Amino acid sequence: MAIIETHQLAKIFPGDIRAVDGIDFEVDEGEIFAFLGPNGAGKTTTIKMLNTLIVPTSGSAMVAGLDVVKSATEVRKRIGYVAQDVGVDEHATGKENLTLYGHFYRLDGNTIKERVKEIFDLVGLTGSENRMVSTYSGGMRKRLDLAMGLIHQPQVIFMDEPTTGLDPQTRASIWEYIRDLVSSKGMTIFLTTHYMEEADHLANRIAIIDLGKIIAMGTADELKKSIGGDVVTVSPCAVKDDECKEFIRRSDAVLTGKPFVTGTKPTDGELAVYVNDGASAIPTIMQLLSGQGIEVKTITMSRPSLDDVFLKYTGKTIRAQEGTRTSFAQIRRMRNRRQQG
Amino acid sequence: MNFIRDTWYITLRDLRSRIRMPVFIFMTLFQPILWLVLFTQIFKSLGGMLGPGGGSYLQFFAPGVLVMMALFGSAFAGFGMLMDMDTGILSKMLATPVTRVSIIIGRVLASTIVILIQALIIVIVSLIMGVHLKTGAPGVVFSFFLIALLGLGFAAFSNGLALLLKRQETVMAVTNLLTMPLMFLSSMMMPPEYLPHWLNTVRQINPIDYAVVGVRDLISNGYVWHDLWLSLLVLAALFVVGTTFGTMMFRARAE
Repeated sequence: MAIIETHQLAKIFPGDIRAVDGIDFEVDEGEIFAFLGPNGAGKTTTIKMLNTLIVPTSGSAMVAGLDVVKSATEVRKRIGYVAQDVGVDEHATGKENLTLYGHFYRLDGNTIKERVKEIFDLVGLTGSENRMVSTYSGGMRKRLDLAMGLIHQPQVIFMDEPTTGLDPQTRASIWEYIRDLVSSKGMTIFLTTHYMEEADHLANRIAIIDLGKIIAMGTADELKKSIGGDVVTVSPCAVKDDECKEFIRRSDAVLTGKPFVTGTKPTDGELAVYVNDGASAIPTIMQLLSGQGIEVKTITMSRPSLDDVFLKYTGKTIRAQEGTRTSFAQIRRMRNRRQQG
Repeated sequence: MNFIRDTWYITLRDLRSRIRMPVFIFMTLFQPILWLVLFTQIFKSLGGMLGPGGGSYLQFFAPGVLVMMALFGSAFAGFGMLMDMDTGILSKMLATPVTRVSIIIGRVLASTIVILIQALIIVIVSLIMGVHLKTGAPGVVFSFFLIALLGLGFAAFSNGLALLLKRQETVMAVTNLLTMPLMFLSSMMMPPEYLPHWLNTVRQINPIDYAVVGVRDLISNGYVWHDLWLSLLVLAALFVVGTTFGTMMFRARAE
């Protein structure tokens, strides 16, 4: 059953800035659904429409079966919100922070006491309840922040970039809490992120959003499969200059249309080539390019990552590439093994 | 019912976080005393100018300190709201079912409670220093009522300003631009008869002066009903304008 449902949802800010430009999607109960996109794609604006903080310009959205504009107060009772910024009170203890929100959600004193204990346990803050938040570490604050969105056991939690700016260790522990919430409480989680690996590891389904529009949606595997095969990334230049651009343009022209190439995508300093079998394609690519007098400086092969999915659909990288890259030497070894086996 | 509960929790939160800032406690408790002692020392020789029955400068100025503290305490009340806006606490609160206006009213109430505590300290210190309370305890209560109206009105206005301007620097500049003339274009520090003619005219459109005159009557002169009614009327108007502006700005922010 869909617990979030939007229809042509849009927010246009003054100056005709189409932050969110008519999006349709559904999130099922118990799902972790991720909105993946670069900064300024419209992720936060979407969250703020769904959690009633801003009113849509057009279109509609239903959360927990209620219209977010007409039944805003009722929606608020059923949702939790974890913002990008950690919104906790410095001059209060963890417990006081949490208790205040318990009151806002109209819980009675005993229920608040029980929940506070339970939630501190869940986010691993037991023992720090009565300490001032000003003495908390960054990770502890984020966990408290997370806890404050949970006190009323909401049906849906909205998390805006839940791990941005956190160290890898804290990020991993936050992921664990998020998974716990879904498995133990059956909550639905809608999160935004610009971290590929976050969407990949955490989400059941992903919507890729860019310039206010959803450009692809599905499970991580479905999205990766939509590219198919391997991605060979070729760079014909040592520095990114005009000559480099020209090399990339020419490389693109040489490779496009070749039977083993399923697609190409030029970016800044690199050319992504989508092929069915990367190991056998690499020598051919090298040959074709050197035949045109283009010297390949680096060539790498990878399984398609969400990065590549993003690149394919938007024509740009979401940020400095990362993921499971394979070095030239590794490719040679792989190829040798394949030939021997 | 929810409105009262939510307002109460917001007020408590505000007071609690103030109490936990040592600088704040110092400012709240010692600043009024400092003003009182310092100013009366500086202007000591003016006592003689106040004429027969005018008493000491302390007797003249103590009511002015009450109003001054109320003005400063409330004019900077919006900075708490700015902090909540900057840290994202405000957005977080707005995503809960909390009664919207409680968020601003609770803060304004907290500011006013602090102002009244300061007023009480000033009255006690003034008594120790030798001020004679002309109308006694009932007059003090009356003057506290006037101060509360001023505090509520200005604190709400300051919160509205914070919501409207959004930036610390701008709010600080506008607040300074407003409070300084409000304080000096009044009879707070100098009896009206010693003020230049133009200033005496200007002060009649300054709501702070109405507070000063009212409170000074109650503390030092007695029930001068003509002044008191005017004072009550102007401060009630200030209260209405301030809270209307504050809640309007808040509604605009909360949509």
